[in-house]
Amino acid sequence: MNLGPVLAGRRVVVVCGAGGVGKTTVSAALALGLAAEGRRVAVVTIDPARRLATALGMAGLSDEPRRVDPAAARDAGLDMRGELWALQLDPKATFDRLVTRYAPSPEARDRILANRIYRHFSGTVAGAQEYMAVERLHELVDEERFECVVLDTPPAQNALDFLDAPERMGRFIEGKGLRLLLAPQTKAGRLGWKALHAGSSMVLSLLERLTGGQLLRDVSEFLQSFDGMYAGFRDRAAAVRTLLLSEEARFLVVTGPEPEPVAEAVMLWDHLAHDRYPVAAVVVNRVHPLPPEGDPDPAALAAALTAAGAGDGAHLAGAALESLQDARTVGRRDHDDVAEIRRTLDDPPLATVPALPDDPVELAGLARVTRELVTA
Amino acid sequence: MTGPPLLDRRLCFVLGKGGVGKSTVAAALGLLGARAGRRTLLVEVAARRRLSRLFAGAAIGADRPTELAPGLFGLSIEAERAMEEYLDMQLKVRPLVDLLVKSRAFHSFAAAAPGLPELVTLGKIWELATHVEDGRPVWDVLVVDLPATGHGIALLEVAGRVHELAASGPIREQSAKIAEVVGHPAATGIAVVARPEELAVTEATEAVAALREKGLPAAVAVMNGVCARRFTPEDVPVLEAALAATPDGAAATAVRAALAHAHRERREQGQSAQLAEGVDLPVVELPELITARMDLDGVGILAGALGASPAVAPAGTRVAG
Ligand SMILES: Nc1ncnc2c1ncn2[C@@H]1O[C@H](COP(=O)(O)OP(=O)(O)OP(=O)(O)O)[C@@H](O)[C@H]1O
Ligand SMILES: [Mg+2]
Repeated sequence: MNLGPVLAGRRVVVVCGAGGVGKTTVSAALALGLAAEGRRVAVVTIDPARRLATALGMAGLSDEPRRVDPAAARDAGLDMRGELWALQLDPKATFDRLVTRYAPSPEARDRILANRIYRHFSGTVAGAQEYMAVERLHELVDEERFECVVLDTPPAQNALDFLDAPERMGRFIEGKGLRLLLAPQTKAGRLGWKALHAGSSMVLSLLERLTGGQLLRDVSEFLQSFDGMYAGFRDRAAAVRTLLLSEEARFLVVTGPEPEPVAEAVMLWDHLAHDRYPVAAVVVNRVHPLPPEGDPDPAALAAALTAAGAGDGAHLAGAALESLQDARTVGRRDHDDVAEIRRTLDDPPLATVPALPDDPVELAGLARVTRELVTA
Repeated sequence: MTGPPLLDRRLCFVLGKGGVGKSTVAAALGLLGARAGRRTLLVEVAARRRLSRLFAGAAIGADRPTELAPGLFGLSIEAERAMEEYLDMQLKVRPLVDLLVKSRAFHSFAAAAPGLPELVTLGKIWELATHVEDGRPVWDVLVVDLPATGHGIALLEVAGRVHELAASGPIREQSAKIAEVVGHPAATGIAVVARPEELAVTEATEAVAALREKGLPAAVAVMNGVCARRFTPEDVPVLEAALAATPDGAAATAVRAALAHAHRERREQGQSAQLAEGVDLPVVELPELITARMDLDGVGILAGALGASPAVAPAGTRVAG
């Protein structure tokens, strides 16, 4: 199936799915295809293979877009009529930028950036990576430098984490209950907390007993330093959500032909559809093609191989027949799995990418995937 | 090699890129431990149901270990539940626990205190590993199926990080104890799983480097899903000549399948060499099983292959593979 028409004119393409199914490859290949068709495209990826990063011109870690050499794309057999830009998500850098933008004062900014908790965990905290992907997406769309942004979602424990990230992040930054609790020295804090919960000092002393005072103080300082930033975060989260729910966006669900990723893809599809995200198509990656029907006569095959110079034609024929048998088993399994997705999701728009002999980690390999996705 | 065979360590973690076969390898390790007569607990941390599926749908319990096979038990750990258990243990007074768990402040603390879910999860694993009843440890071996690389490493290193951050209090002492066990090659071993594909090999190599840097004991690398060795390099020109002579029909289909397999073998050898060089650890190869579905028989075969490795099999139990 050609995904080109499905994605035509969209400003955002979100590529999601279980870990290890090839989201990064599919994202990069799609972006390459959209750019070849004449659009100015940015692909935001996470952790590309090194050679893929090199092929995309991102050899040095950077979360600033870099242009993929059009000559290289041409060498890979693609008529590049637009522009392809690529960048690698750096959650820490994005978080720092956000803090810099929304901190109410330079002092507040420095305090956050220097906080021990922030420094230790800003790359990993409560879905920060997922959130930062959303955040970077928003920045890029806002800049209006690109006609289309393709987002490769981070490997999450649960593919749905990505959608909840802005909300979780908002809750985290807000941390209202805790801040009131931890700021008993201020009058507002004391009163506010008293009104909220009678057992407050008890909760505080319990937490203190468990964590030691200093850790609690660090966490509290960390949260307090976000004071005044919450509104900014909340507005951004809302804006991103609006964008992702709009006609300008399209979601693709990537899966491999295997029970777990398929189950996750089905769940993800249903969830996206239920929440009215514009989910457009399923991509089944790495499907082993089914060899044509009909097994050769072993004796004839052995004779042919002997004629071609085999020392032991019968042995080689046996090995060849085993390989054919394997290819059939695997091909049939994948075929059944694809049929299962079609049935479960009631025949959705679906594209398959064959299992290529080599990992598509160079532009030429990527271009093969591109052809399966946007020109097939 | 530093440290005893993997299954002679009480805590075995299975780490690797998404989809490389961590759960399958964890199940096979668990089965191998049980076969060697060790009381073995297979632990899954991010409830993915994969382990249940492998063991014929035996629902892996979250409150008590489920027997999956003779001598092999399974347990699923969820952070929220582990947190309540932890509080129970610390505070010992149920109403206090309820007070905490119900308070909004506690939930924002839990959300804000970075690494807390990981810490209570790892703490629970540690508690299971060190649990003693009637004077002897309840479990001889725990095999933990970790989430994919980044999240997996975050879990493994959380105790060390929290220990650095907390200046005092029980959390500091507890995280120190946990970090000591998790960092000690006599007690803990990490199996890093890859597949013969560039991305998986690179990720495994980087994971091992990261583990070393953090002082976490990588014990063995597993190259999973290796195809059968069938062809020699000399077979390739013969097959090509046969294809050129008869490019159509059933014979050509078989020869094409053979060539594809032969090329894959060659590529995989390159990946194996790269893994061995990159990780500088004993590497165990596991065959790709060609079946419609992985099942308990398949896991048994992989357990056998793991059991042939002196880096994995408990001392004195190794069977010639
Ligand atoms: N040696 C093998 N031979 C054949 N198939 C295998 C082998 N190892 C794993 N598989 C199959 O590969 C798929 C992925 O395996 P598994 O679920 O164990 O990976 P995982 O690393 O735990 O994945 P996730 O990151 O999603 O948790 C499964 O369908 C499994 O049956
Ligand atoms: Mg798994």
